[in-house]
Amino acid sequence: MSVVRSPFTPIRLLMWIILAIGSFVCVFPFYWMVVGSTLNPNAVIHGNLLPGNELWINLEKATKNYNLPLFFWNSLFIASITVFLGVMVNAMAAFGFEKYPSKAREWFFGILLLTLIIPQISIVLPLFKLVAGFFAPIDMLFGTSFGGLLDSSWGIIMPFLMSAFIIFFLRQNFKMFPTEIVEAARVDGSGEWRIFLQIAMPSMTASFASAAILMFIGQWNSYLWPLMTILSDGTKTLPIAMSSMMNAYTIEYGGLMLIVTVSMIPVLAVFLGLQRQFVAGLVGSIK
Amino acid sequence: MKRTLSFVMTVALLLSTAALGFAAPSKVTVWCWDPNFNGASMKAAAAVYNKTHTDVTIEIVDIPQQIEAKIEAGLQAGGKGLPDIALFQDFIIEKFVQNYPKAFVDLKAAGIDYSQFAAYKVGPMTAGNSVYGVPFDTGSTGLWLRADYIKAAGLNPDSYMKSMKWSEVIKLGETVKAKTGKPLITYQSDNFDMLRILVQSTGGQFFKPDGSLNLRSDAFKKSLAAFKEMNDKGMLYLAEGWSNWIDSINNDQAAGFLNAIWMVGTIKSKPENKGKWMVVPTPLIDVAGAKAASNNGGSSWYVFNSAPNKAGAIDFLKSVWASKDPAALSFYNDILKGQGAMGTYMPSRAGSNYTVKDDFFYKNQAVFADFSKWMEQVPVLKYTPNYSAMRDAVANATLKYFQGKIASIDDTIAAAEKEYKEVMGN
Amino acid sequence: MNRKGAFARYLNRSGWLFVTPALVLFGVFMLYPILSSLYLVTRKWRGMTDSFVGLGNFVRMAQDNQFWHALGNNFLLMILQVPLMVILALVLAVVLNQGIRRGRGLVRLMFFLPAVTSLVAYSILFRILLQTNGMLNNLMLSLGVIQQPIGWLNDPFWATITMVIAITWRWTGYNMIFFLVGLQNIDPEIYEAAEVDGASKITVFFKITLPLLVPVILFSAVTSTSGTLQLFDEPNILTNGGGPANATMTAALYIYRQAFVTNSDFGYATAMSYVIVLIAGILAIVQIRLLGDRK
Repeated sequence: MSVVRSPFTPIRLLMWIILAIGSFVCVFPFYWMVVGSTLNPNAVIHGNLLPGNELWINLEKATKNYNLPLFFWNSLFIASITVFLGVMVNAMAAFGFEKYPSKAREWFFGILLLTLIIPQISIVLPLFKLVAGFFAPIDMLFGTSFGGLLDSSWGIIMPFLMSAFIIFFLRQNFKMFPTEIVEAARVDGSGEWRIFLQIAMPSMTASFASAAILMFIGQWNSYLWPLMTILSDGTKTLPIAMSSMMNAYTIEYGGLMLIVTVSMIPVLAVFLGLQRQFVAGLVGSIK
Repeated sequence: MKRTLSFVMTVALLLSTAALGFAAPSKVTVWCWDPNFNGASMKAAAAVYNKTHTDVTIEIVDIPQQIEAKIEAGLQAGGKGLPDIALFQDFIIEKFVQNYPKAFVDLKAAGIDYSQFAAYKVGPMTAGNSVYGVPFDTGSTGLWLRADYIKAAGLNPDSYMKSMKWSEVIKLGETVKAKTGKPLITYQSDNFDMLRILVQSTGGQFFKPDGSLNLRSDAFKKSLAAFKEMNDKGMLYLAEGWSNWIDSINNDQAAGFLNAIWMVGTIKSKPENKGKWMVVPTPLIDVAGAKAASNNGGSSWYVFNSAPNKAGAIDFLKSVWASKDPAALSFYNDILKGQGAMGTYMPSRAGSNYTVKDDFFYKNQAVFADFSKWMEQVPVLKYTPNYSAMRDAVANATLKYFQGKIASIDDTIAAAEKEYKEVMGN
Repeated sequence: MNRKGAFARYLNRSGWLFVTPALVLFGVFMLYPILSSLYLVTRKWRGMTDSFVGLGNFVRMAQDNQFWHALGNNFLLMILQVPLMVILALVLAVVLNQGIRRGRGLVRLMFFLPAVTSLVAYSILFRILLQTNGMLNNLMLSLGVIQQPIGWLNDPFWATITMVIAITWRWTGYNMIFFLVGLQNIDPEIYEAAEVDGASKITVFFKITLPLLVPVILFSAVTSTSGTLQLFDEPNILTNGGGPANATMTAALYIYRQAFVTNSDFGYATAMSYVIVLIAGILAIVQIRLLGDRK
């Protein structure tokens, strides 16, 4: 489609209006949430749009009555570890599937893909029973203590390290990485691990950045599984804390807005920082 | 040789006596919600206990409303992550006892004298010969009204400070609505407390002895009809959930509500409420056996069998919450004044605060004396393990009835029964 | 021949080494739960005590209208929300692609912002916005658009609308980005050729652009329908547990409640979740067949 040349035709104007309205609708809740952090509860509900001066009061409430720093740290710890370990595990698997073709591995990959359609609720129910120590056989067989995963940060990290979607996504991107380079490096005497680490990975930063963003956002915002397994305040994450605040005896709207705002910051930072790579990674995988 | 032996024996003796009298500092963890009410009461209890037991730390953890789900998850895991003591509402215990028979400590066997507690509180927590909790607060109910709105409607609040029939309440609501535009009662649409309060005031049970629903009773039908009439006349304010309901009270969306004494804390937390609120007996529904008193909510403290410090927890509860010791009795007196928490330990009712005039209320009404009086008339209710499911089914059907999606009372009852049956699976 | 075989084995071993960590995690945290669910589903639970019921859970499910009603809500939301969102995302992508050159990155960013919110956070924001005495009603009342506050959260009809609005807000930008990338991947030469042939813009759009976008549309549709099937966070928080009166109850929420709130009946909950898997699978196959064949 050719671009309309003259800047002020009615169609152009219409397009501008549509984009303006759309952008406003998308951005408004963010503005409101930031302003709300500075207001008292009634002003928040009513819809004051100008900043108030209760920011410090809300901050104090959020740290004293609700342990915001701890919840923030828990979420950060869990999401970061998930990204570091998870991207590694999934990238290794994607590399293995793509660059070392074999019938058996294809079969496994197929199974992984099949599990993509399984809704989360279907997995977390028996998973809960597993970490609630119900299936003792695994504990006995492998000398592990899955019961230890209940109400713990690792219990939230581990089930989500491997992601079939991320493996698929990274594999698509690995398809574009020329196998000739791998073979050439092999001829030069590099071990496979070195090839992966020092040759393949550095040239796939865009894809890895996308994968990192997706995994970070997914784990940072994760709700259902933590809801089931977090029992004590010590391991609470931000989404659980926020939903607890909505169910509190009296809702501290100002403090709630503050926690919501704060919960957005890391995700926004990660996304803004890696935005370009993210889109580039998307382009790669769609091709 | 002799000297070495005596030296060793002395050391051993010292060590053992040290172990006896020098108890290592211990901790008791308590889960409860609402730091201003339950948490604050528990804190006061801890202070009393710490006077005589300086080495025990009572840690109070605030768990907002989903405490039952958390306890459920912990019990599923065999007690992992659970505290020593937890607070939950009386209608939950029967379900827990049925589903997790070994979860809680039999406190009767541990020496608590239950004859000193209000019978209607002890009932639900009894299973055979075992009794499982320490009763805490009463849910004695009343009709809370804004005297200033009644005045603004051209009526004299004093003439309403008595036991009324629902027909009189409806007339009052009509006048208030006409003159001030305010609905008389605000309620929570996902819960419909007010409906169950009314049914219970007649001694009506929600379940038959065999555990099936008992909604076809005269009490239920008449109560439903009374509220439907108020709904259709615009006298009810609908709040979607708990916090919306509290908001509606704090923001004067209606001229009153029908609920229990534990609302005192909320009312008093707003200084502007001073002198405006009055509480009258639960209105009488036109059903045989109706009393001007009912109960809604109220919780009790329970000790888990998986508790890390079981002995400490039991001793704490016994010494402060179930003891005739003057310090313990004055504790009950203090939390009544401080938090508006009325315990159900009968010896504590002699406390001075039970009869004191409260200057926060309209005409210095002695609200606690009133609630205490009404509490005596509350009938024992068998909640059964399926109470929550019943509550939800009734609330859903009633909301649809109010919104015109269901045509008649009989249809409403049928809808509630259907939903209950399908959710429970029998 | 031996060297080739040894090399092939070396490659094969390396391949397994790369893949094994993920497969072990898969085995423990996905395969094992799935297999153990086969055991769970044959039992009926009340708290910690369970008894064998064979297919009893499925029999119960067949008569449980609450479950089918919840599932029906999922489908209702799917039918209302997914087409709306896909069309909206497509239109916005086209407009963005066509409309402006400068500032495109900024607008793209603004549209994508909702997608970085956690489901919990945006549910909370919308719930506060749409309360009966909340900002939207206050605004509309003061503008005279309405006389009475709209029960966004306490009227069954409006509650469903609220869910559609909220979900659309959250995901349109996300899908728009994918469409945008898809649009930019189209070779401009195709358009030039069409223009030379004298095709009108509308014909070009429907006969050329759209078919070329089918893979992206398919991706969008499949992920959106799958997401709608799993709705949990929003009904739990935005409509206070599927209210009012179960008007927005979804399957996942109902399953969760059966497992953790009502009866702690994990067996029954697992049985229902099997049905969800089945439906998800059927939907995926149908969509892939429908849209995949159009190439």
